[in-house]
Amino acid sequence: MSIDWITVGAQIVNFLVLVWLLKRFLYRPILDGIDAREAEITARMGEAAQIEAAAQQQKAEYEERIEALQASRAETLEAARQEAEKERNAMLTEARRQMDHEQAERAAQRAEDARAFRAELQKSAAEALLSLTRKALTDLADETLERRIVARAAARLPEVTDRLRGDAKQAVALTRDPLPEEVRAHLRDALDAVAPGAALSFETDPVRSPGLSLTLGSVQVDWTIGDYLEDLEAMLDESTNGVSAGDPRDAG
Amino acid sequence: MQLTPDDTILLTFFGIGLNATIVNTWIIMALLTGVSALITRNLRPDVPPNRWRTALEVMVGGIVGQISEVTQRRDPRILYFVGTLFLFIVTANLLTVVPGFDTPTASLSTTAALAISVLVAVPVFGIGSRGLGGYLKTYVQPSVVMLPFNVISEVSRGISLAIRLYGNIMSGAVIAAILLSIAPFFFPVLMDMLGLLTGVIQAYIFAILATVYIATATAAPDAHQDKKDMS
Repeated sequence: MSIDWITVGAQIVNFLVLVWLLKRFLYRPILDGIDAREAEITARMGEAAQIEAAAQQQKAEYEERIEALQASRAETLEAARQEAEKERNAMLTEARRQMDHEQAERAAQRAEDARAFRAELQKSAAEALLSLTRKALTDLADETLERRIVARAAARLPEVTDRLRGDAKQAVALTRDPLPEEVRAHLRDALDAVAPGAALSFETDPVRSPGLSLTLGSVQVDWTIGDYLEDLEAMLDESTNGVSAGDPRDAG
Repeated sequence: MQLTPDDTILLTFFGIGLNATIVNTWIIMALLTGVSALITRNLRPDVPPNRWRTALEVMVGGIVGQISEVTQRRDPRILYFVGTLFLFIVTANLLTVVPGFDTPTASLSTTAALAISVLVAVPVFGIGSRGLGGYLKTYVQPSVVMLPFNVISEVSRGISLAIRLYGNIMSGAVIAAILLSIAPFFFPVLMDMLGLLTGVIQAYIFAILATVYIATATAAPDAHQDKKDMS
């Protein structure tokens, strides 16, 4: 066991060189790498903390907004429900008003149609009744309708004689169609019998019902076929109402 | 039978013989430097660490942790010195298993050189930490009477460092050689395994004692006094 001092010196130098070499190639790179990584981790953790803080802030904001929305949700729903109810009532009112208006229009139209139909029916019935009456008189009694009308009016003149006053100087015979001359003469004779000296004039009105209207002063003697038509219409209405009331389909 | 590799002259330059201690030390230096340079050559923050780099980081981190436990502070200069001591000794001790390789730590010259390095490093670190006056004052504490005893203590612990490491490693190598001559098949393997364990432990002891000495020299006065009281 001996010490070689030259070797000792060489080993000291070797050791110092090794210290420098390992410092250069081992410790510095490793420590710098660790420090750099720690710095990077610290920076990333800082960024993560900032991101997390921002996320937490956003989360708090969203939660606050959600709470506010939930709080106002009931009010919004109630307001919307009331608005919808109001709109619904307005629409129903408008629909009812429009329906009533249309019903009134249809009713007026139906009434107008019924009135026109009734007038047309009355006109046709008058024509038919007049024609039938004239034919029946001709066939059965060899008479004309105009003569019978004038005869009827002449027969009623004595009934109104006591109502004549001093103004019975002018008489007017109003018919729809012009009267034959022989009928006019008959009427004139009958008038002379109750009102001597009274002037008789003949007038026509195409729109009036067939018949005769004799005006003598303040007295008027009428016979028109319209009275019969009114009776016929009343009978038809009564029959129609009776049929409608007795129809089980209508009842059902 | 040679007890030290100092006696094995491998090369001669200009009349100066290069023994196996120096040459093998160069081999260990080249091995440590080469491996370190190879692993850390692409060490950049943007390059993900590989397993070798991670192993080096674990090793260096372990050394830093041990030093920090003893010194209670992080001084990279102590890492450079003590870490190199540990890595050199442990590498040399582990290479005893290589047939034909005479480990340098089996040379008293090498261990003496390392012990001298520690003996020099302790006052260097102490003066660097406390200043010259502050460091020299530690030799006359608690009284001037203690000056010779403190000087003897400093020298004796350096000698003990050198002798302890040399004795352990040299004895292991000698025992392995003796057993190899007596029972060449079984006992040398066991002794080599034991030698590996002993070599690592001795490297740790040498490095940790050097750290303690340096920490004692660089500690604050109060802490220095506390450590002396505890010892």
